[in-house]
Amino acid sequence: MSMQMALPIAMIPGNSVIHRINPLAKIVWVVGYIALAFSTQNVFLLYGMALFAFLLAPIAGVTKPLLKGALILVPVASSLLAIQIIAPAVEKPWTHVADIGVLQLYGDGLYYGFVLLGRVVSCLLMALIMVMTTHPSDLFTSLSKLKIPYAFNFMLAMTLQLIPVFQREVGIIMSAQKSRGMKGRGFAAVLPSFVPVFVGAIERVQQLSISLESRGFGSNGFKTSYRQVKVRPSDWVIGIIGALLLATLVTVSIMRGLWSVSSLVVFPHIFVFWLFIVAAGTFAAIILATLIYAFKK
Amino acid sequence: MSNSATATQGVTGQPRASERAVDIRDAHYVYPTGNVVALGGVDLRVEHGEILGIIGQNGSGKTTLTKLFNGLLKPTSGKILINGIDTSTQTVQQMAAHVGYVFQNPNHQLFARSIEEELKFGPRNIGVPEDELDERVAQAVEFFGLKDYIAEHPYRVSFPIRKLVGIASIVTMRPSILIFDEPSTGQDHNTTHIINGLMRRLRDEGTTVICVSHDMPLLADVVKRVIVMKDTRIIADASPREVFADKALMARTNLQAPQITEIALNTVVPRGGHVALTPEELAADISTRIRGTAVTPSSTAR
Repeated sequence: MSMQMALPIAMIPGNSVIHRINPLAKIVWVVGYIALAFSTQNVFLLYGMALFAFLLAPIAGVTKPLLKGALILVPVASSLLAIQIIAPAVEKPWTHVADIGVLQLYGDGLYYGFVLLGRVVSCLLMALIMVMTTHPSDLFTSLSKLKIPYAFNFMLAMTLQLIPVFQREVGIIMSAQKSRGMKGRGFAAVLPSFVPVFVGAIERVQQLSISLESRGFGSNGFKTSYRQVKVRPSDWVIGIIGALLLATLVTVSIMRGLWSVSSLVVFPHIFVFWLFIVAAGTFAAIILATLIYAFKK
Repeated sequence: MSNSATATQGVTGQPRASERAVDIRDAHYVYPTGNVVALGGVDLRVEHGEILGIIGQNGSGKTTLTKLFNGLLKPTSGKILINGIDTSTQTVQQMAAHVGYVFQNPNHQLFARSIEEELKFGPRNIGVPEDELDERVAQAVEFFGLKDYIAEHPYRVSFPIRKLVGIASIVTMRPSILIFDEPSTGQDHNTTHIINGLMRRLRDEGTTVICVSHDMPLLADVVKRVIVMKDTRIIADASPREVFADKALMARTNLQAPQITEIALNTVVPRGGHVALTPEELAADISTRIRGTAVTPSSTAR
């Protein structure tokens, strides 16, 4: 019951090949993905990246939580594509495709819409895979090896570590309030469930800062780590391959003027029309469902 | 069926006399994530007005069992009847009128602007009319000694008071079954005393009280029946006196009887004395024996 509420962005324990890769090698891939995604407009490349990231999920055994996490893409994708069809983010003249009432649909912006979506999808999937397969402490240790400032490093690690704690907390609070007959999930449920979460969060942070200071947080000197992170030859290989491959692709892409293949990709009018129906319909359905939940008592 | 049940029971969830408070038949529960078996076939019957303690180590299934009572969890298989109502057909909100659940940490449930509002939240949710709310709140404030705090924000008061507010916010719902999860953890003497008194009073009023606790002296003091859980099953169901006197059972479940009982077991019991549950009982036993030693020298010969 508490798992229903949980945001699927915490670490999923496991011992897969992906789990065992050194966090630094993973960071190379995530940073490389972000760099590449934003320096190319090649849809094939972008969705190829997304597909590659997605194929890692079954290897790591995180397919189900990954799909759950990727649900956030549904409203993003539907709104992005629908808006690009109504109001293309390219220069006029636009090619008119169809009319729905007062709405005029155009195909010109759709390529760019798919590029934007491809960037979000590929980066999100890769980042989720990394977060789901890396212990926050290992990430911390690895980052401090890179001489990332201690306080910044700690902030990052703490954020990741607190996610599962708060997920559990939200589950308990919802159970407690439902046991008191709290109705609905809309506005009526906001105060009873969020006040305890926020108060709990603030208290926890206070306690954490006290306990940190009492253990000498911020003191100078050499720091050791309880969890040992090994760098094996395979990690070097994965990291170097990732860096070389992604850097090459970034260079090629920039040299080719962002490598846009929009002239090769032509969307049939009927495709644009139906895509709009599906995307706009999905987005409208999500908005409607949210509103119904919000006002239902 | 459920309509007529609501009609006869009214908003306070008062049960029909013919039904058992709790009737659990072969309940199993498997957590969906990771296929962890939390309950492996539990049968339990509790009559109205009983006061029941549940003990067992962490992970033995105590909390899972109590969460079945108000429908927070639905059994994977088996049947849970609460006041004759099958929980699998009800939402937690519907069950809230019958079963009150006091969570261990009051911070998980308090949110309102004042303690008064906090006490009204539960009963208002189950449809208690406004004029009756005031009366219920006044009674709770009186019993829990919250008069000085009524207008305070729940997070401004000390932890023991907050715990009492948490309990009071459930008591004002007047459920016919009340579950306490570790009511005495982190409490001062005064609060524990109020909680003890509350449990007795609720029982006298006919409320079924179920108390999950590691606090053996508390259970020894108020509870009349103890069930012991180990590895997802109930392995014993008896009076606290019998349970605490069973050294093998205590050792097997890694539990410790109250110190008073341990002392009695190692001193007076081998000589035919009672298994004491409270200091008063042991004191009475010892004093008769001391008087007895004066007349029977044989007992001092050893």
